[in-house]
Amino acid sequence: MKLLVCIKQVPDLESRFKPDAAGVWYNETDLAFRMNEYDEYAVEQAVRLREQLGEGCELTVLSIGPDRVVEAIKKSLAMGCDNAAHIQDAAAYSKDPWQIASIISAYAKERNFDIIFTGMQSQDRGSAQVGVIVAELLGIACTTTIVNFDYDNGTITAKRELEGGIKGVVKLKTPALVTCQLGLNVPRYPTLPNIMKAKKKEITAISVAELLKEESLAATTSFHPPAKKGGGIVLEGDIADQVEKVIAILKDKTAVLR
Amino acid sequence: MFLDLSEEQKLIQDTARDFAKAELEPVAASLDQGDDRSPLLNNLKKLAELGFMGLNVKGEYGGSEAGVVSFSLAITEIARACASTAVTVSVNNMVAEVIQAVGSEEQRNAYIPKICSGEYAAGGFALTETCAGSDPAGMCTQAVDDGDSWVLNGSKIFITSAPYAGVFVAWAVTDKDAPKGKGISCFLVEAGTKGLVIGKEEKKMGQHASATNEVIFDDCRIPKSALMGKLNDGFRIAAGELAGGRIGIGSLGLGVGLAAMDYSTRYATERSQFGQKISNFQAIQWMIADAYTELEAARLLLMSAAYRKEAGKSFAREASMAKMFATEAANKACYKALQMLGGYGYTQDFPVERYARDARITAIYEGTNEIQRVIISRDILKNFS
Repeated sequence: MKLLVCIKQVPDLESRFKPDAAGVWYNETDLAFRMNEYDEYAVEQAVRLREQLGEGCELTVLSIGPDRVVEAIKKSLAMGCDNAAHIQDAAAYSKDPWQIASIISAYAKERNFDIIFTGMQSQDRGSAQVGVIVAELLGIACTTTIVNFDYDNGTITAKRELEGGIKGVVKLKTPALVTCQLGLNVPRYPTLPNIMKAKKKEITAISVAELLKEESLAATTSFHPPAKKGGGIVLEGDIADQVEKVIAILKDKTAVLR
Repeated sequence: MFLDLSEEQKLIQDTARDFAKAELEPVAASLDQGDDRSPLLNNLKKLAELGFMGLNVKGEYGGSEAGVVSFSLAITEIARACASTAVTVSVNNMVAEVIQAVGSEEQRNAYIPKICSGEYAAGGFALTETCAGSDPAGMCTQAVDDGDSWVLNGSKIFITSAPYAGVFVAWAVTDKDAPKGKGISCFLVEAGTKGLVIGKEEKKMGQHASATNEVIFDDCRIPKSALMGKLNDGFRIAAGELAGGRIGIGSLGLGVGLAAMDYSTRYATERSQFGQKISNFQAIQWMIADAYTELEAARLLLMSAAYRKEAGKSFAREASMAKMFATEAANKACYKALQMLGGYGYTQDFPVERYARDARITAIYEGTNEIQRVIISRDILKNFS
């Protein structure tokens, strides 16, 4: 059984963002980077499945980007991935979801992964397209925004989140790809001995030029930093209405009431 | 010169920061004000399972082999959330390290894995006595050779984690006629040993969740094999291990100082007086600039001392400099942070008064900062005489 989990390194969202010199993306100088939150759920779920399947299962983590993404790769290895592919690309930020998905599918095509895990979306670009395009390019089944995952004998049973807190259950035969949503699991902290042992795990470096054959289809042409934060949401009406509104927001936007 | 952290060091720092924010920070204020220590003990167990109790300990004894720089980074991140947890982790690491450094193979295998795994909530470092604080060589506790055992009599004071420590590294006079400091030996005493009494807990100004107790040896009989290191070599062992512990306490001070300044600086950008944010006032800006500059200098001193220890170079002078400077920078930062919050800073509704109380002891324990100055100046002066 071969598993792949795709991760992205993104800036800490509490950072102050400024446009880069070309005005098409944010300036990376002085930003602190960490693993995309949704990808942490993907790694955790992939590692749990790896542990469930035991010997004979191999879990690869893949990330596209400059040298700094090795830190996120090493975190995944410390969490329990077996080996890694670092697609070296100093200009990954300029690629659109189509190109990123093309790179991943070009890597995955000959390797015949049974299950591919990705985050639901990245916290910086937020297109939520990469996972589904990878599945389409590989011609495999796909479901998105999963909040529960079970695997048994070639079949995935995934609970999906729909709008307004409604859930749906989907069954998929492998090979398949799932995109992971908040609430799926609580990612483990990597233990310190595992962080040190991850140094010995193999990270295969591959130049992006070997895998990328596609032109951009939807290039970002300008970047705007967020406007200054307002005063939050002010709820109005009588107390009962306000309580209902708060509960609706908590259900819809957070994991508190799931 | 390369001042950046390795990927592993960054990951350990991130793990410590994430854990501290999620698990330690939410309980720090209630631990400070309440009597229930169970959240502390639960978190110590989780930290042990993650590998934070033996950062600079070999894997064969259950350690993480992450090195001294990682130790410093981890203590700082933990202290940003909870100084009481941080001091316990720092002392546990020091106890594990001293056993690794001077213990026999049997002693290492018997105790270090229990500290690293969290089977022991803590280890105790029983050196200080009522009459032997800054002058530990003046200790009175005695160990008498009695056939197949040692019999300890005397009492220790200010012993961190004593009520829940599984083992104590304890010092006692074994040759009272020897020149000062030459007749002291080091022993391992297990919790529960007959004659080992955990005395009263100190009511302290800060770091409330970390227990600090008297430890009494009342005809405490321990096996001959409990001697650690060579007979009458204990004072040298203590002096050597305290140097490493100073990196921990300096790192702890840095964490508390940063927590105080981060809180007060955010506050200054939100609090308005005279129709504008108080961060617009130069008096506040200078406090911010001075405190963060000193804390950054402290961080660099700590990294230098930690790097030197990790690289096997001499580090006692640098560890004393870092401990002294960092803990004083932390105290100054807490003073400024509290001042920036004005009257609110003095109330328990805000965490800054806790930071100020927690920081105060860092200039005193693990060798007062006056003793650090003695160590530093003595080490410098020997090159001039």
